Amino acid sequence: MIEFKAVSKQYPTGQLALYNVNLSMQQGEMAFLTGHSGAGKSTLLKLIALLDSPTEGTVTIAGQDTHYIKQRKIPDFRRNIGVIFQDHHLLKDRTVFENIALPLKIEGMRPHDIKRRVRAALDKVDLLKKEKEYPQMLSAGEKQRVGIARAVVNKPSIILADEPTGNLDPDLALDIMHTFKQFNEYGSTVLIASHDHSLIKEMKKRIIVLRKVKQ
Amino acid sequence: MSATYKPENSRVATRITHHKEAINYSLTRLWQSQASTWITLAAIAIALSLPASLHLFLKNLKSLTDDKREVPTVSLFIKQGITEQQARDRGELLAELTEIDKVVLIPKSEALEQFRKVTGIAETLETLDENPLPHVLVVTPRMNLISGDTINMQKLANKLENYPEVDLVQMDIEWVQRLRAILRIVERTIMVISILLALTVLLVIGNTIRLDIQNRKEEIEVSKLIGATSAYIRRPFIYSGIWYGLFGGILSLVIVHIALFSLISPVNELASLYASDFSISGLGIKMTLYILLGSSLLGMIGAWLAVGRHLKTTTLT
Repeated sequence: MIEFKAVSKQYPTGQLALYNVNLSMQQGEMAFLTGHSGAGKSTLLKLIALLDSPTEGTVTIAGQDTHYIKQRKIPDFRRNIGVIFQDHHLLKDRTVFENIALPLKIEGMRPHDIKRRVRAALDKVDLLKKEKEYPQMLSAGEKQRVGIARAVVNKPSIILADEPTGNLDPDLALDIMHTFKQFNEYGSTVLIASHDHSLIKEMKKRIIVLRKVKQ
Repeated sequence: MSATYKPENSRVATRITHHKEAINYSLTRLWQSQASTWITLAAIAIALSLPASLHLFLKNLKSLTDDKREVPTVSLFIKQGITEQQARDRGELLAELTEIDKVVLIPKSEALEQFRKVTGIAETLETLDENPLPHVLVVTPRMNLISGDTINMQKLANKLENYPEVDLVQMDIEWVQRLRAILRIVERTIMVISILLALTVLLVIGNTIRLDIQNRKEEIEVSKLIGATSAYIRRPFIYSGIWYGLFGGILSLVIVHIALFSLISPVNELASLYASDFSISGLGIKMTLYILLGSSLLGMIGAWLAVGRHLKTTTLT
């Protein structure tokens, strides 16, 4: 499903974010990506989400070498990847419903289908009663769950989360992790970048450790 | 991962849904920020109404010169003592010439009547023993003779002057030619002004869209992150540009027509003083459509350039 072969990434500033990374994830697998700050966790997720490209090596997603994916095909590709950010990236001027509906609108889905799918996603993250509220009216945990609902609403094959529990208290963080586990059980491949070791241990899933490159 | 994207709708239906959504969204945004929308529309309307007004002015001026004088004529004043029948015979002979299209005789009695009507000095004319006006043959040359070659026109005048019945030859082309030359300069000037103002409209709309993009930077980034194509992101802005152009165009037409209505009465009054039946004409359906189409197109181009620039320079993080 996801395969990194001798992948290195050096930014134009000269900073070497990843060096000779080899990684393989099967379809339907759930794993945690951990490592010290600056170890390249976010960079690795960006390479999978096609937000960046490696300077060396090959990244293969679903059998496709990402290097050969045409620029105009990237949006189609991204629609199959749900990304969750630490700071949610929710649109403040849209309601919870509208935020979650965005990926479906981009797909060009009919309004009644959108309604059905958004409601189902809201139900999964237990926020059905909050659909008409705006992000600023929600707690940090609720915002993160809206972010998760938006990432999974179009049933992506891969779910990537970058420090999704960074700002949450331990109970809420565990709750969020269980939500990810639930989506993994539905068949999505889930990769979560986190440095919360106790939480990662508790989930009893594969752990991928990235070590900081010595410059 | 299913590498190929399988939409639930067909591609055409998806496109239609996207366009509907972009239309609704762009119109809603214009409505939501009414103050800035009106300011932008006013700027566009003023910029567009100037060339539209100048065009209208030119159109009316042209209609004045075209009035019965599309083809320049040569007036032959017949010598005193030549009878109406002799003048008519000469006219018929002249009409046979290859370089002449038609000849119209204005008998002196008819000329006097016209003179009386136009000048309003009927009482003075009553005091004269006989009609002092000559018979006039109005000669219309063939168009190919006068198209751009005035030397031939002069030759014709010289030839006509040699006929024994002819007292004086007067070419009625000069003032038309001069006016047309002036109109050509005015036309070019209007064209230059129109191009400059079109560029202004382009910049106004482009800048408005650029500001709108800045306000929606986060939304654009999030949309791109979750798989929006450049076309999807561009679409609502393009529609906004079209609305700005179209509504600005409509507003400019309103301004031009208000100005036009205020001019109708004084122009008619002036025309009546010159015994002319001239009246101001409006832009017409064709020109109205051109203005609306042109302004919408300018809006679209302005928006396209602004979004294109943004999409090129934005990198996702």
